Amino acid sequence: MALLAPYTKIPEPNTATILLVESEEKFQSRLADAIVQRENDAIVNVRLARRLPLPVENSETRPRVDLVVFIVNLLSEHSLQVVENSLSHLRSDFFLGKVCFMVTDARCGALTQERLLSVKKLAASHRCPLICAEHQTEDGVAMAASRLLTLLKVSAGLSPVATTALYLSTLTRCTVPSELDED
Amino acid sequence: MDEQARAILQRILRKLPSKKTPSTLRAWGCLSAEQLEDLDYTQPKWLLLENLISKCEESGLRLKDVTKLEMVYHIENPNQGKWHAFKLTEPEDEAVSVDFTQFKEMFVAHLEEVVQHVSIRMKKQEDGAVWIRMAWGDNLTRPNHLKPTYAVHYLQTPYVFILNLSAKHKPFLYQALVLSSRHTSINEAHLSGRSLTAMRDLLMKQYQQVFPNQERTLKERNAPPSHPNIEKEHAESAERTHQMACEAFGDGTVPKLETAVYKLETRYRGSSNDTLSDRDELFRGVVKFSSPNLLESLRHCVSTGMAEAPVTPLLSSITQKGRNYFVIAEKAPGATSQTPAR
Amino acid sequence: MAHLSNSTGLAPDPSRELLESSISGLSNRSLRVAENVRKKGEINSFQIALNYLSNVQEGTVVRGNDELERNLVVVETVALRHGLPPDAISLLLDLALSLRAGGVTCLRILKFLIPSSIVPQEAIIRGVSWLCVGKMTVNAQVLFLRWVLTVFDLIVCKDQLRSIYGFIFSFVTEENLCPFICHLLYLLTMKEHVQPYRVRKLVDIQAKMGRQPFLMQLLALYKVFWPELVTLSVPSQMRTGFKNYNSTWKAALSAVQKKARTEVTADLSLSVELKGKSTSRKRKLHHLEVPGLSSAFDTSSERKVYRLQELRSFTQLLQNIHNIELPAQMGSLLGSSLALHYLDCVQDESAFLRLNFWLGHSLQEEFLLCPEDGGLESLSEASTFLSTILSSQKFLQEGFFSTESFLYKFLSVWDGSLLRPQILDLLSHIPMMTSNYLRMFVFEPLVQLYFTSNVFFKCSVIECLNSMLLKWLTWHSVNPLEECLELSVNPNTTVTMTLSRLIDTVTELVNFVGCLATEGLHLENCHTLLLNQTLNFYETVCDMLVKYDLPLVIMPPAGVFYPALLATDSLTVDRLGYIMYRYRKNLTLAKKQEQQNEQSFHISRSTYQDFNKQLVAMVNCLWNSKSFLPGTTNEIDEHLLIQSKVPKYRSRFDLVHHPAFFKYAIEFHQKCWPERMCVDLADIKVGRYWSWYMEFLFCQGFDGLNDFIQVNTGQSSSSSSN
Repeated sequence: MALLAPYTKIPEPNTATILLVESEEKFQSRLADAIVQRENDAIVNVRLARRLPLPVENSETRPRVDLVVFIVNLLSEHSLQVVENSLSHLRSDFFLGKVCFMVTDARCGALTQERLLSVKKLAASHRCPLICAEHQTEDGVAMAASRLLTLLKVSAGLSPVATTALYLSTLTRCTVPSELDED
Repeated sequence: MDEQARAILQRILRKLPSKKTPSTLRAWGCLSAEQLEDLDYTQPKWLLLENLISKCEESGLRLKDVTKLEMVYHIENPNQGKWHAFKLTEPEDEAVSVDFTQFKEMFVAHLEEVVQHVSIRMKKQEDGAVWIRMAWGDNLTRPNHLKPTYAVHYLQTPYVFILNLSAKHKPFLYQALVLSSRHTSINEAHLSGRSLTAMRDLLMKQYQQVFPNQERTLKERNAPPSHPNIEKEHAESAERTHQMACEAFGDGTVPKLETAVYKLETRYRGSSNDTLSDRDELFRGVVKFSSPNLLESLRHCVSTGMAEAPVTPLLSSITQKGRNYFVIAEKAPGATSQTPAR
Repeated sequence: MAHLSNSTGLAPDPSRELLESSISGLSNRSLRVAENVRKKGEINSFQIALNYLSNVQEGTVVRGNDELERNLVVVETVALRHGLPPDAISLLLDLALSLRAGGVTCLRILKFLIPSSIVPQEAIIRGVSWLCVGKMTVNAQVLFLRWVLTVFDLIVCKDQLRSIYGFIFSFVTEENLCPFICHLLYLLTMKEHVQPYRVRKLVDIQAKMGRQPFLMQLLALYKVFWPELVTLSVPSQMRTGFKNYNSTWKAALSAVQKKARTEVTADLSLSVELKGKSTSRKRKLHHLEVPGLSSAFDTSSERKVYRLQELRSFTQLLQNIHNIELPAQMGSLLGSSLALHYLDCVQDESAFLRLNFWLGHSLQEEFLLCPEDGGLESLSEASTFLSTILSSQKFLQEGFFSTESFLYKFLSVWDGSLLRPQILDLLSHIPMMTSNYLRMFVFEPLVQLYFTSNVFFKCSVIECLNSMLLKWLTWHSVNPLEECLELSVNPNTTVTMTLSRLIDTVTELVNFVGCLATEGLHLENCHTLLLNQTLNFYETVCDMLVKYDLPLVIMPPAGVFYPALLATDSLTVDRLGYIMYRYRKNLTLAKKQEQQNEQSFHISRSTYQDFNKQLVAMVNCLWNSKSFLPGTTNEIDEHLLIQSKVPKYRSRFDLVHHPAFFKYAIEFHQKCWPERMCVDLADIKVGRYWSWYMEFLFCQGFDGLNDFIQVNTGQSSSSSSN
């Protein structure tokens, strides 16, 4: 089973590629549009997938993936399961700053809070950042796109400042809130 | 006007949405144009009913005419109540040449022969459907118009759809239908639902079917992404699963079924529970799928990957065989199959 | 029946014609006349229906009774369109609860019992007495109680209800009714109602049913009135305690009220400004509505008690301050400054408890439980609501604990853009807490948002933390905490603040901002705006001892100091000069205080060393033309400096050659030697030109730098006093 690896291909100049994985395929297209429209300096390729592993047929034409984003819809258990199953299809060096988790509908009640906690634990154990997104408004989508672009530019090496994805991930990684009393 | 007529009028008026009332009354054709003009449809329904009753009394309308209105109502709103589908089998040679007048005469004759007091009304529509309304009585009582049975038969096809038939009157109706349409017997088609049009479309395959190896044009679903930099990884496999889903359940607007019921008469074969498996007794269970539009939801499940593609024959039989009630029985050890219920 | 249809049959025809003519836009006099005729017709039929219903006897057949049905329909349509007048409500409530028309009719009537203005108290009393008879089904009882809770604000005067408190309390043992009874009691309880036997009863029920939130809420209120009677521990901040009760009537009630409001002009003097109701039909939950203070009052009440809504001026408030009754809907206090004044003076714990409960509930419902966003309208409503809370908090000079707990929950699911200004503003108002909690609740979520967002968000966060620090320091300077005295800052937290804890917290905050600033400046390539905000923060920090009397001095980290020193705009360098100047003042004061009294605080040696190093680096750089010397903190290897091929690298950051001051140097050069084509800035450093240049520079307004240079080099500038 071929794992997706971060450094097996040669990158294109001034190009970054982001892979959005979402099982429902609803939010990813809007997010993709927003990402592509926001970035004017570099060329950003967006690949949309439903799950990992990716189809083998595309592996030749696919550019080097710089950032993998797992989008979890907290209202659906299926969404979380797909993401959990997909994690084992990434090579372990992807998790050095090139993976990010994004959740939608985080503000929706008690059930989503439990799932959010499990996603947080997942993200924390893999040392990845977790981004909450508001997918219903234009502004929310734009904000999510801009945050992903911040991460993408660093992990693709396009940032003008001397920094690496690994270093940025030490600053952005998710932490699980410890047990607190009633607050 | 007698009580039954008033009750029927009340019922119809209560069920009709206010927007449709004028057109239905006009289609009825029993009230004059001025009388229809006179009615104020913005009044509360009980007031409108009073006015309508007084107009009917003015024109001297009786129960007969009111039942005509009820039939008009049902013809215009066929998607109510619970319809059951039936199939006439083993046609005789003359079956193909039966026309409406012939059918009507024979049907009325046969039915009136066996049931003392029955009130029959028949109407043929442009699409070839013959609507039959029956109100049943018996030797002693007059026909009860408050509980009519409706039957819809499409001439030159073996299909009949029946609404509100009680067990008592079943044999009479079956016999009348079989004899007047020149067939030998009638069987249940194991298809039931709310929407008559949906059932008809399903049985007579009047929906958009998709066949394997058909040239597929790009639909909305598989539209190319909006920007050249965006690419879908699973475009091909998504296309394939969507194709399979459409083959199984149809494309575009599909007939609106509400339920599918699978009755299990098999042995339990799961390995998790010792007390249930390896028993000789059958594990009886019923699996019921319900949805506002069942076929569309199943198609969506398959094309988004929630259900596996290729579609299991258990689900695709709904459209292939045109039924939504299945009994799954033990055939041979280790194999399950479907057999039609008796 | 026939005559009824005739009398109402008169109206339809003219109204239909007139409807057509009104569409064409004509405003006939006959239109109004016909409208009145139609309305009168409606009112007549309504009265007739009410008369009929009031005469319905026990044992009337309901099924198939067209007459009853017809009259109920008439009343129902009026109720759903305009609401029912008070006498109709009494009548119908009596009819329903006495079960004269059967159980089904009872439920039906309760469901459309929408009041148009007020609900008379007697109706409710009678309703409770029917409840005591005990013939109603459980569903009907529950529905009745929910109805009472929904229309509670519209009940005119509640003193009679309070006098039957005991009867209402007796229902608390019924399991199905318990949640709603507890809620009703919560709204009615006054100090005299809290009795030991009632407390005991509630505790017994709790033992049976478990720590149900509605029981806990009522017990918390009891505890506020009589802390000694309620001995069990009640969590101070609770989530929503009471079940949803008004879903059945909410939409209809708001529609009727909205209609009434548009027809009658409201009198709004000092009190609340009525917020426009959202017209979007998609909003099923109108939680953001700060309820208006209703102006209905009962003139026949015996006790001369003023309602808060009746007061119109501050003097009135002062005159009657001992005699005021708080409204039942505590949320309405938020918009009115008069009400907040009163709350602040009286310090009524129960009022605060109720206000916090309502606030917490609304915030949770709106933002944390399936919010239906998507409309600009709903977003603007939300921001207005939060702004109201903010202004109330500013007015009271303290926060509500329910906003605090909401904020922490919200931060962990925030995306960074939703209602950003309001949320950051609320965040800057949180009270002091221990450094542990601060780290857990505020810093950890903020960090994850900060490093993934753009530079403007980073600036906003630093600005927010700056104002948070300012508020804490101001609080401390007004209420100084002694080392040995333990004062509880927030009466609802279980941790008390001492001076050492405060110092810990402030240190944690300053270090956190230092870390954010260092990394942020690095990632954003020393963006000017971010640097600006950071220096704002350190302007607050440098003066903690002198201005705010907090014995703490923390130096800026190297990642902030050097970007500021080597920045390309002059304002930044000037501000850095000011900050270093203030640091020096603070440290000298600290040293003096330490020498004078032995038991005062102790600034560690490393702080002095850090300061000295930075000071030396800055002076060397700007004044002595000796930047990057080996042995200093900004040491750069000689080889690298030679490789850069910059001539005279040591003096490249002094006051003449510094990129920030370059422009001024050239200007000066041109003024001095206008005829020279070849510019050699080293000429400025010679003799009197140097002092003239200093004067020229400081005339440009670089006061901070001026002070810094003066203090540290002894160079005086004659123009400094201007």
